[in-house]
Amino acid sequence: MMKQAIALVAVLAIQRLASAHAVDEYVQATLLSFDGDRIGASFRLVPGTEVASRVLASIDTNSDRLISEPEQLEYAERFLADVSFSIGGAPLRPTLVSVGFSSAEQLREGLGSILIEATADLPRGGTEAALVFENHHQPQIAAYLVNSLLPRDRNVRIVAQHRSEDQSVYRLDFKRSAAGSMGLADE
Amino acid sequence: MKGWSFVAVCAIAVALWASPSLNAAAPPTATDHIVTTAKAFLSALDDAQRRKVMFAFDDAQQRTRWSNFPVSFVPRGGISLMEMNAAQRSAAMTLLAAALSPTGFKKIQQIMDGDEFLKNDGNGGRKPMFGRELYYLSILGTPSEKEPWMLQFGGHHLALNITIAGDRGVLTPTLTGAQPALYTMNGKTVRPLAAESDKAFALLQSLDAKQRDQAVLKYRVADLVLGPGQDGKTIQPEGLRASAMNPEQRTALLDVISEWAGILQQEAAAARMAEIEASLDETWFAWSGATDVAPGSNITAYYRIQGPTLLIEYAPQRLGGDPAMHVHTMYRDPTNDYGRKLVAK
Repeated sequence: MMKQAIALVAVLAIQRLASAHAVDEYVQATLLSFDGDRIGASFRLVPGTEVASRVLASIDTNSDRLISEPEQLEYAERFLADVSFSIGGAPLRPTLVSVGFSSAEQLREGLGSILIEATADLPRGGTEAALVFENHHQPQIAAYLVNSLLPRDRNVRIVAQHRSEDQSVYRLDFKRSAAGSMGLADE
Repeated sequence: MKGWSFVAVCAIAVALWASPSLNAAAPPTATDHIVTTAKAFLSALDDAQRRKVMFAFDDAQQRTRWSNFPVSFVPRGGISLMEMNAAQRSAAMTLLAAALSPTGFKKIQQIMDGDEFLKNDGNGGRKPMFGRELYYLSILGTPSEKEPWMLQFGGHHLALNITIAGDRGVLTPTLTGAQPALYTMNGKTVRPLAAESDKAFALLQSLDAKQRDQAVLKYRVADLVLGPGQDGKTIQPEGLRASAMNPEQRTALLDVISEWAGILQQEAAAARMAEIEASLDETWFAWSGATDVAPGSNITAYYRIQGPTLLIEYAPQRLGGDPAMHVHTMYRDPTNDYGRKLVAK
């Protein structure tokens, strides 16, 4: 898994830089997606220039001003430890799929981003469920965003979304059916 | 008799051919005009410049080489206005004017002028990473009246991705932005994205309490959700559905949307607006942030308009202090970014 994740570093690193321009915030944008019996989570993390050194200090743990692959993976795992997924109160166990980091210099200048992808198995059974996602990573400087992609699986239908004011807590109500069709639902 | 008939037919044919009213070729279409100006632009370049400006139509890397960031941070492909001589620059702007509506062309000029203002910063300083000459033009594929090709133009706070396929034109994905979002030039106050701000605010004000409760999200949206690098994604829509709006509000919503769709030349923009209007019932309007605005200023709130083939985001930025003075916007059709649907046909 670690080798696979490292192999994906280069691919993710050449993706377009995020659009965030916040200087005093650490923008942490989450996109959730349904993929069959799994939920995928894509995290795009963008530290602003005024908080970049603080974020970098937590990544570059040996202070050599470089971000090594082990440091990338270690940070990604720590990030995942700060977020949680649960369904009906039962926690889901997210697995790291890939990581991608801009260079330390780009991050320091507020021009870089960190991409982390994870996945978690959904429990089987049940037609109605509420997924709760929480992000408590670096809350003093965070600006959280969380959204769900429209499910490609036509048997999954999003019913409602609820968020705390700072988007650190997100609840997604959804329905699953064997042969249902996916539509847009009112909140 | 037969000989006479043949002569008569020939005479009639010649007369018809010579008749100006009947002989007139079909009037040139917008695409004809764009292609003509594109070829003129390419002819104005030397060989090295032409090689630099042209890419394969399916060059995925070049397609996505755009950003809100200045070009020194995220290098663009193609050649910049700075690298062109006066005649080449004129040909480039003529091409853009052909591809865009007059209001769209004016909007992008004001965005570029804003960057020039940022470069000079009004305090005697100069920031070389900004300026109206640091905008790049590239062409993907070969300009053609029939075959698909793309025109890209962009730099700081601007990314136009225009796909042309026959008489159809697609402007998505396109990013516009402004910093400063209000400036004075030649004694005139300029707000490049004034209509995007003012029309959306007017729509918000037209909502009754129940509608507003649905439209105004109870949480902060700090940035674009589907900005650069997020092609082809569709998020779960939120806010107030247009089916719950009255006719005046629906017209006002379409008017807001036209600020993006209407950047493109009028024929393509009209087709796009018709497509959006056809699914207006399934289009949503969501607002996050302050529900008031200082007179003459831009809103400081984020808003999003989302339909089956549409995503618009308006996101004020905190960089620079006043979010009203720094705005990013995104315009997408997740089903047709880079003209994917047209090319598939």
